[in-house]
Amino acid sequence: MMTALAIALLLGVTVWWLLVQRLRDKPWTVHGVIPGSQEGLTSSAPKVGLWVFLGMVTSLFLIFAGAYVMRMDHGHSPLQEWQPVSEPSVLWINTVALVVASILMQIAHSRVARSDLEGTRRYFSAAGILTVVFLLGQLLAWRQLAAQGNYDHRNPAYSFFILLTAAHGLHLVGGLWVLGRTAARLWRGLNAASIVQVAAVRQSVALCTIYWHFLLLVWLGLFVLLMST
Amino acid sequence: MAYVAIADRDHHLHDPTTFIEKYIWSQDHKVIAIQYGSVAIFAGLVALVLSLLMRLQIGFPDTFSWITPYSYYQFVTLHGMIMVIYLLTALFLGGFGNYLIPLMCGARDMVFPYMNMLSFWVYLLSVIILMASFFVPGGPTGAGWTLYPPQAVIEGSPGTDWGIILMLVSLAVFIVAFTMGGLNYVTTVLQARCRGMTLMRMPLSVWGIFVATILGLLAFPALLVAAIMMTLDRVVGTSFFMPALLSMGQASDHEGGSPVLFQHLFWFFGHPEVYIVALPAFGIVSDLLSTHARKNIFGYRMMVWAIVAIGALSFVVWAHHMYVSGMNPYFGFFFATTTLIIAVPTAIKVYNWVLTLWRGDIHFNLPMLWGTGFIFTFIHGGLTGLFLGNVTVDLPLSDTYFVIGHFHMVMGVSPVMVLFGAIYHWFPKITGKMANEVLGKIHFWMTFLGTYAIYLPMHYLGILGMPRRYYAYGQTDFIPGSAHQVNEAITIAAIFVATGQLIFLINVAYSLWKGKKADPNPWGATTLEWQTPDTPPVHGNWGPKLPVVYRWAYDYSVPGAKEDFIPQNHPTRPGEASVG
Repeated sequence: MMTALAIALLLGVTVWWLLVQRLRDKPWTVHGVIPGSQEGLTSSAPKVGLWVFLGMVTSLFLIFAGAYVMRMDHGHSPLQEWQPVSEPSVLWINTVALVVASILMQIAHSRVARSDLEGTRRYFSAAGILTVVFLLGQLLAWRQLAAQGNYDHRNPAYSFFILLTAAHGLHLVGGLWVLGRTAARLWRGLNAASIVQVAAVRQSVALCTIYWHFLLLVWLGLFVLLMST
Repeated sequence: MAYVAIADRDHHLHDPTTFIEKYIWSQDHKVIAIQYGSVAIFAGLVALVLSLLMRLQIGFPDTFSWITPYSYYQFVTLHGMIMVIYLLTALFLGGFGNYLIPLMCGARDMVFPYMNMLSFWVYLLSVIILMASFFVPGGPTGAGWTLYPPQAVIEGSPGTDWGIILMLVSLAVFIVAFTMGGLNYVTTVLQARCRGMTLMRMPLSVWGIFVATILGLLAFPALLVAAIMMTLDRVVGTSFFMPALLSMGQASDHEGGSPVLFQHLFWFFGHPEVYIVALPAFGIVSDLLSTHARKNIFGYRMMVWAIVAIGALSFVVWAHHMYVSGMNPYFGFFFATTTLIIAVPTAIKVYNWVLTLWRGDIHFNLPMLWGTGFIFTFIHGGLTGLFLGNVTVDLPLSDTYFVIGHFHMVMGVSPVMVLFGAIYHWFPKITGKMANEVLGKIHFWMTFLGTYAIYLPMHYLGILGMPRRYYAYGQTDFIPGSAHQVNEAITIAAIFVATGQLIFLINVAYSLWKGKKADPNPWGATTLEWQTPDTPPVHGNWGPKLPVVYRWAYDYSVPGAKEDFIPQNHPTRPGEASVG
């Protein structure tokens, strides 16, 4: 139910945006080229594409969360098969790593905006390394849970823990792939004098920054959800 | 926003040079559209054959010994899944979405052409995975197209070895393909429209495809989540959906899973899916009716709002598919209410189509025939939807042929009517040849009358209480002998309709080979795709300069104009109110 409301909200925002886009036009009354109307392919298409994708990923994780809550309610019925897991404390360290990665990414973003390529390289790569640290930490959390030995695959709390962290981790891995490609361009063969090349890298860093902040938010949401049960 | 003509940015146009780049690994939206369309129609033909096999069994039980209960359920499952997802969704969005969005918006291509190409190949992979399940031990899954657990997973159902796994994997792969295509469709509409093409000047076809894609991007994740969790239940033995079971004296390895949770996830995708198919059909049929009635679409603005409203409402009606699953009675009340509310914008659209035809200059050519056929089938399917939307009426009818009649009318036949209308309408642009009119008319009447002969009697069978999903009925008191005769008649009608589709294939082949050469704009249509310098349009669509749009898409029979249509890129005439 909550998931439905959240998605309805998402749709509501879309509809509101469309209304802002003059959905109240009476196109049959006005001819000619309307000033300010959409024109040609603009450089922000990848950014719009990313936001559309993030809308979809939001829907994915909201639905995961909805399924989690519904399964938990069901699991508290007489059978009591929902046995909450005690989250490994390494999750806190992981969370800090991801927060710092997001901050570093933001700094890299501001550096690249000032065409400070040296600073961009440093902070951008550091953000990537911390993200890898986060992912390794998540794997460690899995191992610690398995080592506790109290859980088996029939316990939905345990299955969900693995499933949700894996889903989030896979999205980060996808992000790392883009980050790796951008970093490769930053380190090798980037002609600082070429406006086109610098603009391309600037855009990639900007998109990575949005994606990292977004995945941080998703993780914080998941962390709260996992801890609260 | 600074206007940079894409013609000035030659690096965006990777002109294909080799045969492979042109027709196989093509990044051209028109080629991808045809690839999508061909694969989707092939998959649809497989599903058509499956439906005939089912009908043979129902119409003439005890005649075909090689159709076993086991294979019957596999036919049911694959028929439904292929038709809904791999044919309708893929053909409307991957096929027509790809072809029409850039051309109707005045763009040279999709904004991410490489991803667009990947989208098709990943879609093809999903079809191959699905088709592979016919050849694995145990065959394809026979869980019913909704794949409800637990029977989708436990032994005893058909295809629980490999079939169900391949089905779920294929769905997940399809969703990946859809995502890559969908990002393109939405972003292209938002970012790549030509100068003057405001959102409210877009043809309704683009509106329908655009909103349907947004629905898909928000709803397919629910199916993905369901598919992942069910795969884990089947492969790893988790208990997301699978409850503790005793099967043949053996306790299963599952505990306490929630089958109803699967139903919620499935239908949270499944109901928007109805509109993912219907909204493009709504949009396209609006353009067909307006063009061939030589009249502007009645209530354009209301049509756009209705598309958006239906899209939003489609997310809060899903549980009307689950009235018989057992839930809080207040939920039933809520979902019945929302279901009936969605009839309001839908009815507005139907009235507007009819009012568009009212006093129009109707040309009964092929697209118009199919378009008016759609109005009939959609009204019939829609009205029975009002019956089933009410909990108390749904409960006795839910498991009967009434439901089969309803949803085939509303989301089977109706979208297919539009698909054929659209194929005949855009055939001259896509191929440069006119489709054969006589064959097309035979195809139409066989399909239109034949599908009525199939689905109208099913409503009566349903009210009689004839249960659906049964392999054979035997002799029972409540099913009279006449019902069996009706079933025979339905089967004969189904064979008749299938033959009609052969005529369609013959028509396509014949028209490609010997069809009359098409004018660039044979229907006198206003929208941009008919104004391209070449027919069929070449790579890059527009030659050296992008079109500029001066008016909306429906300037038909404008008083005082020289012709009975004014193309969207036709500059403002003296005396017209204008800006800029």
